[in-house]
Order: sequence, then C-alpha cells, then structure tokens
Amino acid sequence: MAVLRPYLYTGGVYKHGLLIELLEDLGGYIIQQVVTGTEVNLIMLIPEKDVSVVKKQSDELLGILVEAPLTGVEIAVVSPTLASHHLPHSACDTAEYLRHPGANTNMIGLARGMGRRVSLSMDYERKLINEHDIAVFTFGSFSDCIINKKPKLFEGIEIPIVVTGGPDLKTEEVPGADLYVGNIGRTSHRLRKTEEVSALDKLNEEVGKIANNIRKQQAKDPLAVLPARVMKEIENQVPEIRTVLSPSPLTLQLNGLRVKLPYDEFHERIEKLEFDEGVILSELASISRSKMKNYILIKIKSKSDVGFTI
Amino acid sequence: MMDSLEVFDVESAIASEQEFYRKIIEDNLSSLKLAPAIGRIKVVLRPEDSLFQMAIILRDVGTRVTTNDIADMEAKPIAGEIIISIKKEQYIPELLGKLWDRYGKANISQPDRWTVTISTDQPREEEAFLKDMMVADPRHRLHENLVDFAIRVTPEGFRVRYHLYKGNQFIFVASEEALKHEWIEEAGTMLEELMKGGKK
Repeated sequence: MAVLRPYLYTGGVYKHGLLIELLEDLGGYIIQQVVTGTEVNLIMLIPEKDVSVVKKQSDELLGILVEAPLTGVEIAVVSPTLASHHLPHSACDTAEYLRHPGANTNMIGLARGMGRRVSLSMDYERKLINEHDIAVFTFGSFSDCIINKKPKLFEGIEIPIVVTGGPDLKTEEVPGADLYVGNIGRTSHRLRKTEEVSALDKLNEEVGKIANNIRKQQAKDPLAVLPARVMKEIENQVPEIRTVLSPSPLTLQLNGLRVKLPYDEFHERIEKLEFDEGVILSELASISRSKMKNYILIKIKSKSDVGFTI
Repeated sequence: MMDSLEVFDVESAIASEQEFYRKIIEDNLSSLKLAPAIGRIKVVLRPEDSLFQMAIILRDVGTRVTTNDIADMEAKPIAGEIIISIKKEQYIPELLGKLWDRYGKANISQPDRWTVTISTDQPREEEAFLKDMMVADPRHRLHENLVDFAIRVTPEGFRVRYHLYKGNQFIFVASEEALKHEWIEEAGTMLEELMKGGKK
C-alpha cells in the first residue's frame, strides 16, 4: 500500500484545479478544500514518492506547500464549561491553533466540569470525547487543581489525553495525562505574546508526536481500508454529502471517519458502500450512530480483525 | 484624592500563579473599563481552600451626568433644529439612545463625530428640557460593572458568593463550599488595610 503524506497547500484560486487533477492522477486524496475570496487552502494526502511532483506544480502556481502532520486527526478540545471564564480565550485559541497543522477540532464544553470538588463529567460526554482521536483538556492557573482535583474528569476517557494549563508542570505530575503543556492557562486576552505562542507551538508539536505514535502503532496492524479512501467512495456513491452545510461534512479520523448525514436515513447506504475489490464497507468497519448530533460514525477494523486489507 | 490603581495586590501561595491571576484581573478591568474607577484593590487566592477574596476601594466617580455637562447646545428656531456640540465623547452612546427615544431616529443626524443635530418644531423649549436631562448615572453603571467584574475574575466553580457594596467600598468573597464567617471577616480586614493605604 502506498504511504501517504499529509500536506497543506495555500495559494491563489487561479489554476488550482491543475493541482487537484495532478493529485487525482497520482492517487492522492483531497481531504478538505477551502476557498476564501481569492485564496485557496487544500489539505491533501500525497503518495510519498510523488511529493516532489506536487511540489513542482505548487511552485509553478506560486503557492506554498507545507507538511500538515495533524491532517486526518479529529481532536476534542474539552473545556470545563462553555462559560466566559474559558471562552473565547484560551479554549478557542487552543482549538484554532491546532487547526493550523491540519487537525479538525471540536470544542466540547462539559455541563458540570467547573470547580474542584463539584466537577464531574457525564457518561454521554465521555462517550462523545471517546469518538475522537485525541482529547485536549484546557484547564486553569492553579497547580493544586490540575494535579489533585481535575484529573477525575479523565475517568472513562480511552483516547490519549493532553492537558493544558497555566503552571509549569511535568507530565508525570498530572495523573492520567499523556502530555501536559504549560503557559496556556486561564486568560482573558488573546494568546499572542511570545511565550504564549511558543506554548501553542509546543502543543502542536507534541500533539503531532502523539498522532504519529498512533499511526506507527497502526502500521503494525494496518486498517482494512484507508479512511481517505472511504471518504472518496462516499463522495462518489452518496452524492447527498455535497449538500451538507456543516464544516467538513466528512471528517477524517486516524481510524475512521465521521459522516455528517442523519443516521436513520443514510446508515444503510453507508453500510453497503461498495469497493472495487468487491467488498462492502460493513465488512470492513463498524458503523454506528454518533453521539454528536445524529451523525454517522465509522470506525474501521484492523487487518487482524477482518483478515485482509484492500 | 486617590490615584487610580494606587494599590493593586494579588496574593497567592505560589508566585507564578499569582502573576497569572493578576493578568486575568488586569484584562477584565480593562475590558469593563473599570480601571479609572478603582482606587485600591486587593485579591487573596487560596485554591487549596477553594476560596477567593477581594476588597476594593472605589474612587469618587462623580454624580449624575446631564447633557449640559458633556455638550454645548444651540437652538436654531428658524431652521427648526438644535445643534449639540459634544465635549465628552465617552457618553455619546447613552446620549444618542436617549435622543432616539425622544425624537425618533429619523430626526437625529450626526454630521460628524462631535456634532449631533435634532430636528424639532420647538427648539427653544426642547433645548431647555435637554439641558437638565440625565444622560448617564456612573454610579449605577459602576455597580453593574463591578458585579460583572467580580463574577468574571472568580474561578468559575466558586458559586457560593457574598458581596457587600457600601459607599466606595466593595467586598466580594466566593467559594465552592459554604462560606465561613472568618472568610468574610478576613475580607473585611483586607478592606480596612486598604483604607489605611494598603500593606506596603
């Protein structure tokens, strides 16, 4: 199977179709295409050996092609609540910054996550968070809370947990966290000072490492089908997806994807999605109702489960 | 007469956390435009006890503001209009709001930043009325902003609150647990210290 590398292209709208055609010829995938005025952003997966070809085309169009290590990763940014204490700064700033390297982020405000003794999460919220690839919890400024009180919110979370907060702590000091990044505590201003931006840069870098670790783990027992391929097949076989107005109607995850179509109406067609090899999607993946709205969640099984890959 | 923010103390066991909190308070003071109104402020944070205490001494913010205080007026009986030349720009939103209510938006125009024109049949009578019309009550606005400020800077989970607003003194205590008497008394002591000019 060809190894695909995630890249982000930024350039003018003029002739950007050439790049899309080239990518299709090479067997790559367009994950997301955002046209804003005269500018276009393309997030794409390029076959590793053909990166130089795409780079050449991008240079001709005077665009910029950079690696986007978080492409195809869906991240939950979890804030204790959605009160003005945490939003828009710093939770939104964190979520926005994680999008730069290609991630899709969803903000989740817990209903009763605030406070020390009283903070708690609900079963529904934990299941919703577990639908993502990585969870980023945005906490406040007190080390006592972050070390002793808040980790109870991690109970039942099965995906890697990243914690941001004000104080300069070590990851080992925060029980249950896979990564702690300091200097992003509670603020009432936009994060734009040098030390704040470098903390966000560090966050992106470290989250990128976590995503790479998951990919490496996956490489040992690969998925039965690439999520990007499922995405393309849905675009071809379920044309209604083009009428969906939600941002990124097909959201890629490391081991599946979220389809922003109503479950009851569409799940059968998604289950019967056909591949050239003669298999249908329900043989390769489990398809369930997402906790997010009424969407469809596809989690692709691994080779050891299915017995083959396509 | 006190200067604004003559004393600005934030106390917490860990110095770096103190700085984070000082910044949160500064940001909220500026977004609510409260800094000029506050003379002295002291905040004590004890996260281990889930406790937040704040004492504030306000500066004299003046009394009610009338149109006469913020603008010059000229009635033009023949043209059927009143021309208001603004002197203090900060009250324009309130003034315009009151004028729109009284004369309707169609009769008010603002040819430039410092001028408001009203079309009316009785320029002289209306001029006399407007002179003494109350445009803003800074004390009322201050109280609203002060409560908003207190809630914004307090850690969100601290939902049990006590506040006292008397003359130019303001005390605010918040916690996640039932409030203890001594916590409120401590805040009272903080206020007394501030009255004496704050602990140096």
